[in-house]
Amino acid sequence: MVGNKTLLEVKGLKTYFPLDEGLVRAVDGADFEIQQGRTLGVVGESGCGKSVTAQSILRIVPPPGDILEGELLFHRYSKEGDAFSMADVIDLAKLDPRGREIRTIRGNEIAMVFQEPMTSLSPVHTMGNQITEAILLHQETSKAEAREKALDILHRVGMPKPSQTIDSYPFELSGGMRQRGMIAMALSCHPSLLIADEPTTALDVTTEAQILDLMRQLQEDLGMAIMFITHDLGVIAEMAETAVVMYLGKVVERADVDTLYYDARHPYTQALLRSIPRITEDRRKWLEAIRGMVPDPYNLPSGCPFHPRCRSAQGECREVEPPWVEVEPDHWARCILYADSTTATAQG
Amino acid sequence: MISFIARRLVIMIPLLALLSIVSFTIIQLPPGDYLTTYIQQLEAGGQVVDEAEITRLRAQYGLDQSVYVQYLKWMGGIFRGDFGRSFHWQAPVMDVIMDRLPVTLILSFSSLVVVYVVAVPIAILSAVYQYSVFDYFATLFGFIGLAAPDFLLALVISWLFYLLTGAMVTSLFSLPFRDAPWSLAKFVDMISNVWLPIIIIGMAGTAGLMRTLRATLLDELGRAYVTTARAKGLSESRLLLKYPVRIALNPIFSTIGWLLPALINGGVLVGIVLNLQIIGPALMQATLSQDMYLAGSIILILSVLTVVGTLISDILLAWLDPRIRYGEAN
Repeated sequence: MVGNKTLLEVKGLKTYFPLDEGLVRAVDGADFEIQQGRTLGVVGESGCGKSVTAQSILRIVPPPGDILEGELLFHRYSKEGDAFSMADVIDLAKLDPRGREIRTIRGNEIAMVFQEPMTSLSPVHTMGNQITEAILLHQETSKAEAREKALDILHRVGMPKPSQTIDSYPFELSGGMRQRGMIAMALSCHPSLLIADEPTTALDVTTEAQILDLMRQLQEDLGMAIMFITHDLGVIAEMAETAVVMYLGKVVERADVDTLYYDARHPYTQALLRSIPRITEDRRKWLEAIRGMVPDPYNLPSGCPFHPRCRSAQGECREVEPPWVEVEPDHWARCILYADSTTATAQG
Repeated sequence: MISFIARRLVIMIPLLALLSIVSFTIIQLPPGDYLTTYIQQLEAGGQVVDEAEITRLRAQYGLDQSVYVQYLKWMGGIFRGDFGRSFHWQAPVMDVIMDRLPVTLILSFSSLVVVYVVAVPIAILSAVYQYSVFDYFATLFGFIGLAAPDFLLALVISWLFYLLTGAMVTSLFSLPFRDAPWSLAKFVDMISNVWLPIIIIGMAGTAGLMRTLRATLLDELGRAYVTTARAKGLSESRLLLKYPVRIALNPIFSTIGWLLPALINGGVLVGIVLNLQIIGPALMQATLSQDMYLAGSIILILSVLTVVGTLISDILLAWLDPRIRYGEAN
């Protein structure tokens, strides 16, 4: 099932929030691709625009936020025998966020798992009700069939005693079970892309490991692509093949995971990696932190937004928007240090 | 659930006994009794009151007995369905109440329905389109409705009604029907008059419910489960009704039981201003003239309804919200 076929292309995505206090450029230039059946990791600090990027793809950005620019090209393949043939490409950014077309994609072809499995599930509806709802919405099945399917998917996500838990309310389940239910809900219609927005952040480490294992297993079984959003570089290393690093709404670096860990080019990525504690290091040494604070979103620094905190900042960084440069094949960075590279493009 | 209801019913028995004592005590609190007030009225009218006559009346009404005996006699009667006699109306208390009950219930019930039917949709639209022109209008109306006292509203509206139509709102019935027994024609006549009191009595309730529901709904609309439902592909209207509206309505529907006493005793001031033959004004008059059995009986009925209403609310809440239902089981 896994082929090197593009599933989603995000090109120059800009999602802004015009607030009373000023314009917040939540996503201000995101470029990446998600391959069919593969996992893309998205890393960054809180407020860097990871979640808004995900919301933009599903077109569920909360008002007053809206997509200003960019393309979200979603490739649909129709299955004919063993071969996949490209059926059509649809630009999600052009769809009416309340329209029928995007609603047939949501929960059906692109599904999402949220961070807080407690608050993200309705407290007054049973797990079964919330899972079968998606199935009944997107597939023409009877209620009894939908319940069968819900039981099957609950079984697949390793929910203990599915025939009991299906009639449980979320508050009766543990955090890990709730997140399993959430994943079951997202996978109930066999989406081709699963967006996981910090799915393990609210869980303890043991449960986190179980959920991560489960997601990898399900990906093998069902073949969906995963966009895995996290602030945890360790989780990315475990889950993803390629990763993008975001800072203040911009994708600053994109590479496969190994390259990113061993040969990071953007000063921000390098600083992030230095701030991870290592078990081999001298324990008396101070852990390195990125100096300075994340700037106020209403007053972003001019030029490269990272320059006030950057070790390698030069005078130019204050004025010039850094170019998006392919520093090596399939390894991109948004930094002036690599502006001389031959493949520099003028993209914002 | 059944054991929960049974337990609550058992607790109600001593509670109601206590309530009856409290009701009776309240009635006895003002100095004097019905006869003192009656004599004052007669003397104010320049009549001479015969001492022997007073003693005779006092014995006839049982007012010469001790408070405990009066209470026990009254309670004994209630168990036989006899709430005592109203001094003022010279009739059994039950007759005085039953006389007013149909109109009272029709009036209260229809204003309640109007309150919910008007307030719920406006509140939903107001919350979903927060800070829209519609929301501002609804908010303005809500503040006026909450701030304006109902008797003032009754005066202003009936004055406006008079200016516009030349007719006076004086009662629920047109003159020919006022003393006639119930008939279809009388009912039709009432329908044509009842809308005005309904609007006035319902105004404050509508405004209050609207503001409360709008606030709760705004709270719920921002919750993560709404985003989850949207990410599932549900249409906006379906997800609104199934998730946030359902959850925001829970506390409101579950407090419906509390409205039970208000159904009987609602609109006292409006009733007085518009001269409506409902129970509220009768209670007020009875307390003023120390018509103790009438006042006591109405207060007792209101207390019983409050207790029953609270039980109904608790049952509704448990039924609507699984979090409470299961909490009880554990």
